[in-house]
Amino acid sequence: MSRLSNTRKLTILAQDPAVRLGGRLTFAEVDVPAEILASGPTGYRVKVVDYDASSRLLYQDKIDHEPVNGEFKDPFARAPEEDDPQYEQRLLGNPNFHAQNVYAIVMRTLARFEFALGRRVAWSFGGHQLNVAPHAFSEANAFYSEEDKGLFFGYFDGITGRVFTCLSHDVVAHETTHALLDGLRTGFTELSGPDQSAFHEAFADVVALLSIFSLPQIVAALLDSDFRPPREGSEVRLIDGRRLEPKALRETSLMALAEQFGREIQNVHGDALRRSVMIEPARDVLSRMEYQEAHARGEVLAAAMMRTFLDLWDRRIRELGTFGDNQYNLDMVIEEGAKAADHLLTMAIRALDYCPPVDIDFRAFLAAALTADAELIPGDKYGYRDSLREAFASYGIDPPEEGCLAADGTWCPFDRTVPISYASTNFESMLRDKEEVFRFIWENRVALGIEVRGVIEVESVRPSVRQGLDGFFLKETIVTYIQRADLFGAEVGAILSCDRPEGLPTTQRITAFGGGVLVFDQYGQIKYHITHRLNDAKRQFARLEYLWETGQTNAGLRGARDRFAGLHRARAED
Amino acid sequence: MATAPTSLTIFSYQVGFGDCFLLRFAYADGPRHLLIDFGTTKLPAAAPKDQMVLVARDIADKCSEGGLTAIVATHRHADHISGFATKADGSGSGDIIRALAPKLVLQPWTEAPDEAIDSLGPIVDSTGKRSMANRLAGLNAMHRISAQVLGMLEGQSLSRAAPEVRDQLAFLGEDNLSNASAVRNLMTMGAERVYAYHGCDAGLADLLPGVETIVLGPPTLRQTETIKKQKSRDPDEYWHLSAAALDSDATLAEEDQSLFPGHDAFRASKLPMETRWFAKRVDDARAGQLLSLVRSLDQQMNNTSLILLFEVGGKKLLFPGDAQIENWRYALNSEFASKLDDVDLYKVGHHGSLNATPKSMWNRFRKRGGEKQKGRLKTMLSTMPGKHGHEKDNTEVPRRTLLKDLEDKSELHSTHLLEPDALYQEVTIEF
Repeated sequence: MSRLSNTRKLTILAQDPAVRLGGRLTFAEVDVPAEILASGPTGYRVKVVDYDASSRLLYQDKIDHEPVNGEFKDPFARAPEEDDPQYEQRLLGNPNFHAQNVYAIVMRTLARFEFALGRRVAWSFGGHQLNVAPHAFSEANAFYSEEDKGLFFGYFDGITGRVFTCLSHDVVAHETTHALLDGLRTGFTELSGPDQSAFHEAFADVVALLSIFSLPQIVAALLDSDFRPPREGSEVRLIDGRRLEPKALRETSLMALAEQFGREIQNVHGDALRRSVMIEPARDVLSRMEYQEAHARGEVLAAAMMRTFLDLWDRRIRELGTFGDNQYNLDMVIEEGAKAADHLLTMAIRALDYCPPVDIDFRAFLAAALTADAELIPGDKYGYRDSLREAFASYGIDPPEEGCLAADGTWCPFDRTVPISYASTNFESMLRDKEEVFRFIWENRVALGIEVRGVIEVESVRPSVRQGLDGFFLKETIVTYIQRADLFGAEVGAILSCDRPEGLPTTQRITAFGGGVLVFDQYGQIKYHITHRLNDAKRQFARLEYLWETGQTNAGLRGARDRFAGLHRARAED
Repeated sequence: MATAPTSLTIFSYQVGFGDCFLLRFAYADGPRHLLIDFGTTKLPAAAPKDQMVLVARDIADKCSEGGLTAIVATHRHADHISGFATKADGSGSGDIIRALAPKLVLQPWTEAPDEAIDSLGPIVDSTGKRSMANRLAGLNAMHRISAQVLGMLEGQSLSRAAPEVRDQLAFLGEDNLSNASAVRNLMTMGAERVYAYHGCDAGLADLLPGVETIVLGPPTLRQTETIKKQKSRDPDEYWHLSAAALDSDATLAEEDQSLFPGHDAFRASKLPMETRWFAKRVDDARAGQLLSLVRSLDQQMNNTSLILLFEVGGKKLLFPGDAQIENWRYALNSEFASKLDDVDLYKVGHHGSLNATPKSMWNRFRKRGGEKQKGRLKTMLSTMPGKHGHEKDNTEVPRRTLLKDLEDKSELHSTHLLEPDALYQEVTIEF
């Protein structure tokens, strides 16, 4: 009896139907966790329901998902030696390929998060399977909705033809990341300052962009328009060093998101939907009027991340030898890119564990990323953290002044002299039991500096496993707690310790948030306490002022579905 | 020669869910009349079918002495301009008004034909100079979307949507339908036409001596940019894109076409059990998306409303159309904001909805107060409960909390309190 493997290959479209390389669409086979799928396809984390509300039809899944002789078949694999002129049109015209495309990209993105965190990642809505509608309705929009436990991908008639957003790798990876981020940090979808919703968008963009670097053939083709597929035993493929200059790299399709979507609505945008990396670094960029709006602001964070990546890649490329007149080994260049992207993506995803659970801002994310990386690789041989700090600083994003070590920008370790009582709590229960952790927090509320007038709730207790440099595995426990305070404008000073923004009525209802992350080491001792305190006057005032000035103080009335749908619609309007 | 009026009578007509106010300024040499809006989307059940013609005839009758001096059309929603529509045989309510030959028609700058751009200055955004033609085309795309949505409601396309969502789509769709005849009538009526924006001259000074008219809104795009924390964006192209998306949506729905002809598919009525829950969510999400789209365009249209403040005989009268907070914000940050402190009469914005009476504005009115308040604030509301919004999500129009405030702190005159057979109510202010 043959053994089923852990992963399987499935064909996806690695860019979108507008991108042709060497005259071909960017089909690529990717690895996804192997499982015996049900119709849909439906697996253990994803359920594709190909229902179209506009035509009121459910497109049937005609694929036989059973393994054959113990092997999973890729139903849409290109026959190796066969010249099939209809291949591309056959796939583009088959809704079952569209369904496979979304299934595989969602699973691949999920697997990438789980790999970085060393644990399963839950969806925020409590269910196990994320529903996905690849042809949900006719609209130039795609969005994640927690309320509907799913992702909706629209389609629309663009300038040159019908555009299916489910066929854009970037759009699918972006929406999946919203769902994953919501599962890890539910508080990030609450109303906050301009950084928080910007963060959601930026993070989703960065994941979509960096994910491509694990597909070497696609990267090769995007780097070199004279791309030719590698042949076994063939000579070294070379690339002109001029194509690898930072400016040239910034202009490649590797740095652009959702090409087709952008082009088809070019009368609105004029270019790919987003090419954040082209934002010129400037320390004051985030204070400019045009970067106060969430999407534009998110692009600044994405730009800082992608500039970091390009810097890391550039450094690695320069360490490679050249052939003749400034010629580089293309495959080595791609490999170095994949390593840099992989490292940065892992750093970004692991950083989520070190982010305060509410009111995230770019500075706190930077400190979290630096801390996550320092925990994983204390030495920083390749200077990843220096590069990250420099790129962020060039856009005026520095680690927070309070709570961070000035030398390296990481969060300050917990002060061991603080009198914390561990006596009443059970160590084993503390590793998994929210009630036990809550008791610990409650009994140590004074020592931990937690304001008790807001309702405190332990949001999650999660294990974090990583392999130390000595080869041994370190197990830590990440606890997040959230505080919520419902108050009137008149109580702002008493509860949030800040002034009332000008014009905010005393009778105005307000919801404010606080919260923190407690990282327990393998001995159950607090290692980090990363907080956004409820009575942090500076943060609370900035948040309230922003919400008041942008007319969102009452926006809690907006439904959960509209959070991302509205944001994405607004982006199309932008 | 008249110098200033001695009194003002405001006739607030029963047009159900709509606005229609005739202002009669009494001068020594006779009355002069100003008509502010004339439209409805729903008449009261007791009203005759030809109510709008009856209203038009009454206006003509009242203007038989002194004529109709000017018309203000605050914005192009049906509930504000449908009465201006004409008929081929000349018997429409709009024909009756047109025959009164108003000297001036005042509308917001968003209605200006292309040649008026110079009077507004260039409107510039990141894509360069925008023409007024684009703006008008954007408004037309909004009308098209509304028509498409109403078409979907008539067919099977939205049959699975929740009843309250269907109701709201129908209401907003109808209100945003094109009133081509009314728009054309307004565009060609009157000896002079003024397309106004914040701070501009309304052109009424010579026609209504002793009445100062301050245009508080709408701001132009350039003016808006100065107070926004966000970069300005021109939504017109977005409306075109959305209208195009709905075109293909309508085609698919009407002809029951498949996106993938030849590929087997289940009809919505015969879905496999395991897909039904999410398929319903997709239906709901689509209806919700349509509603968001229509709400968004409805709000944009509301925010093109003229906001006029009349100062006459030491009194201040505020007529804001349906302006919502985005339109108000500029006015409330302007040099004119302090003039709102001692408003004597307030035409309640947007039929008493949640967003059209900003608290920061309402709270400025110093003459608010109980019955013993000296010079107590007068408020005029033209509305019809049960037509728009729901109490369960606090979106009902008129809003209960606002209505209570209006009743407690002002002398409220509302059309929804009129006797069933009353054509109008009147309020007189002596100077």
